[in-house]
Amino acid sequence: MSENYATVNPCSMCMPMGSVMAFKGIEGCMPIFHGSQGCSTYMRLHLAHHFREPVDIASSALSEKGAVYGGASNLKKGLLNVIQGYGPKVIGVATTCLAETIGDDVVQIVREFQQEEPLAGEVAIIPASTPSYSGSHEEGYNEALKAIVKTLAKRGRPSARFNLVIGSIISPAEVRYIKSMLENWGCGYDYTILPDISETFDAPLAANYPKIPEGGTPLTDIEDMANSRETLTVGGSILGGEAGDYLERVFGVHHTILPLPIGVEQTDGFVGTLEEITGLGLPEKYERSRGRLLDAIVDCHKLVAGVRTAVFGDAEMALGVAKLLCEMGMDPRVMATGLKSPEFVRRGEKMAPGSEVISGVDFSDIHEAVARNEIELLIGPFTGRQISKAENIPLLRVGLPNHDRFGGSRQMVLGYEGTTGLVDRIANVIVEMNERDR
Amino acid sequence: MGVIKTFDERADHIRQKSGTEPVPLACNNESLAGAVSQRACVYSGARVVLNPITDALHLVHGPIGCASYTWDIRGSSTSGPTLYKKSFSTDMKVTDVIFGGEKKLAGAIRELAARYRPPAFFVYSTCIVGVIGDDLKAVCKSASDDLGIPVIPVMSEGFRGNKNEGYKAACNALFELIGTRDYLPKSPYAINLLGEYNVAGDLWSVKPLFEEMGVEVVASFTGDSRVEEIQRAHKAKLNLVQCSGSMTYLAKKMEEKYGIPYKRVSFFGIGDISSALRTTAEFFGDSRMMEKAEEIIARETARIEPEIERHRSRVSGKKAAIYMGGAAKAVSLVRAFGEIGMDVVIIGTQTGSRDDYKNISYIVKEGTVIIDDANPLELKELLVKQGADLLVAGVKERFLAYKLGVAFCDFNHDRTATFEGFDGIVNFAREVDITINSPVWTLPVERVIGARMRTEAVPEKVTGEIPMEQNAAGGETVV
Repeated sequence: MSENYATVNPCSMCMPMGSVMAFKGIEGCMPIFHGSQGCSTYMRLHLAHHFREPVDIASSALSEKGAVYGGASNLKKGLLNVIQGYGPKVIGVATTCLAETIGDDVVQIVREFQQEEPLAGEVAIIPASTPSYSGSHEEGYNEALKAIVKTLAKRGRPSARFNLVIGSIISPAEVRYIKSMLENWGCGYDYTILPDISETFDAPLAANYPKIPEGGTPLTDIEDMANSRETLTVGGSILGGEAGDYLERVFGVHHTILPLPIGVEQTDGFVGTLEEITGLGLPEKYERSRGRLLDAIVDCHKLVAGVRTAVFGDAEMALGVAKLLCEMGMDPRVMATGLKSPEFVRRGEKMAPGSEVISGVDFSDIHEAVARNEIELLIGPFTGRQISKAENIPLLRVGLPNHDRFGGSRQMVLGYEGTTGLVDRIANVIVEMNERDR
Repeated sequence: MGVIKTFDERADHIRQKSGTEPVPLACNNESLAGAVSQRACVYSGARVVLNPITDALHLVHGPIGCASYTWDIRGSSTSGPTLYKKSFSTDMKVTDVIFGGEKKLAGAIRELAARYRPPAFFVYSTCIVGVIGDDLKAVCKSASDDLGIPVIPVMSEGFRGNKNEGYKAACNALFELIGTRDYLPKSPYAINLLGEYNVAGDLWSVKPLFEEMGVEVVASFTGDSRVEEIQRAHKAKLNLVQCSGSMTYLAKKMEEKYGIPYKRVSFFGIGDISSALRTTAEFFGDSRMMEKAEEIIARETARIEPEIERHRSRVSGKKAAIYMGGAAKAVSLVRAFGEIGMDVVIIGTQTGSRDDYKNISYIVKEGTVIIDDANPLELKELLVKQGADLLVAGVKERFLAYKLGVAFCDFNHDRTATFEGFDGIVNFAREVDITINSPVWTLPVERVIGARMRTEAVPEKVTGEIPMEQNAAGGETVV
């Protein structure tokens, strides 16, 4: 890495983007950015490209006047218009650089709005502090999750439910998979999953298209998260799962943090923990899936052996995939994330000693690492495509953003089934590589 | 009572054409907070104009987001350099916001100059740069002196207005470059193309037509252009302005300083590309060129007519909705739809001016809805109410149309087919045809319930076509 005053081809997005991924997982929730109009439009565009869905995000549309005299009146007006236009149950307010830099106190503005505006009575409003200069989209996602439970969770009667917090960004299909797994497990309605983007970012084409997509975690369930007997955060091994920590600290809800269930060992860990929480054994059909995953890995082990791979993107996703590569006998020679995280480096180096594990990097750093390590395969978001093209190395698209291939909302790399699919895709890319080189 | 129910402040931005008088439309003001405008910001306006300069280094001074979301999204093709496809940012952090980002910016310019050796920099300011007061101009000036290349500040703080302000900021930046390099055009008939961004290679189906007429294109602003071409653009005799919203300001400045007159044209649609060629030939007053123009027009029109007719017969009478960033493209689209026999039932823009809307209201038919700075709720209601078969717009609107069962044509950064020139109109007609006449719209949204399940209590569901006929509006917009 050079001295790096400049970032060349960023490997991360900004905090408000992450907040949308959390807010859009709440039932009837409409996000609004407190900032200039462009932030909401750009992120709507970015997410629409990825999910191929309409993505509505409001803006307080701050102008010069707002920047000089404060944006309170714009934000209040924006909140009122969102209530009138969209009829939301919940509004997530994410700040942008501009709002934070001019020093607007969003918590106070929201409180005033709730006191002044009769229409605000029925709507829960969640302020989250997410200036782009304070962190990446992954940190914004976590910040919003924390803000959600902090604002909504209320002490009530203890319940027998458990909380499942999705600690890093996964796809709607992956959330659907986890939900159906819990259903098959017999958990029925005994758990709260937060956030639940399974329907909101992958809506069926239907006769009636609602203003706010259907689905998401119900407000009352989030309120009740304070009374659950346990919280499990999956995908929180790097950033720690602050939402669950908060519930533990304030309401005494025991918190367990796991990485994403990708690969054999990490999925076993997830499944084993669920067995402990539910007191029920893994349903037989998943045992059989697990066996099929092992079968798939064995089938291709010679083909994929030692293939030098670079894995990049969101920290949890990249580490999860790298772990799978280790299990398959591949060589995750480069692991990289845009998030600045010593924990990522520590875990990556422990997982694959001798690999180049880098955090807080851009794609120009990753490109250099790829060249240095004679990489044969790239796995990560589509933003790695310029490296793929320049070096003539295939890029297997995993994670957000994925703008140039279809099915971003239906990516499936989690659990025994998802991992099996990923194993097959990896093997087939290598088959194609070999055919091409022949 | 307005055309549709919407926010009170928005009512004056939506009108239905009625009678011969121009329709008065509120426009060019700040977007309404909370209304989910489709507009972006000042930076976005500046970026779309300048980004297609392929060998310049485009550096965003700001937090990472602004650079992340604008990385190679312009859809503008290149015949050579690819530096413009990279995303450069100073990635400002908390400490930069507190202590100022000037040092980091200066460092970034130095570092990038050494690494990429670009012929020029464009340095974009973003929201917080304007608030914390970094002296962008001073940093750029000093870097330019050190490096001996133009380092041009683009004053594009996001909140200082709408996209139009960004266009202006970009034009000011371009104006700084123009006239800094001497040049003797090879042809006495030298022109610039302003507001031609070479999206999906548009320029390459237009430029050869001019060249065939003996006209030299000195610089294209800014599609597939090089810094050097922009620098010598003052040597042209005529500016053809296509995207008038973004470039009229620059054309006026060039007229003032260099005495280059400008003409408004469009390269989209058979009529418009033809009149662009004629306008140019008439301007130079060369009879041989005029003959050549007529020869090209006749030849090309005859060549594409069978193709056009094939598509026309399949889309004729269908209803189109147009929602564009700027008015010039929208107007050109109205004429092009006329050429393939379609009616326009909705027309809107993000940044149209009073004159633009006046002009639009003259060319559209009775009953057409004209809308300024639309939002998704309004577009949704209008598409249903006006019975549109097709929406022409950008990515954000694409999925709204699809959810409503409305065909869609991308006329923005994301399209992959050339739409300009004679071949372009064929591509356009083809795309309109394949989306409108696709079998996907006849797939039943609701299935027929199995016969054994059908009882008196469970009536058979109607297999309607995809949403349009049903109440896709889903209730009122505003209580």
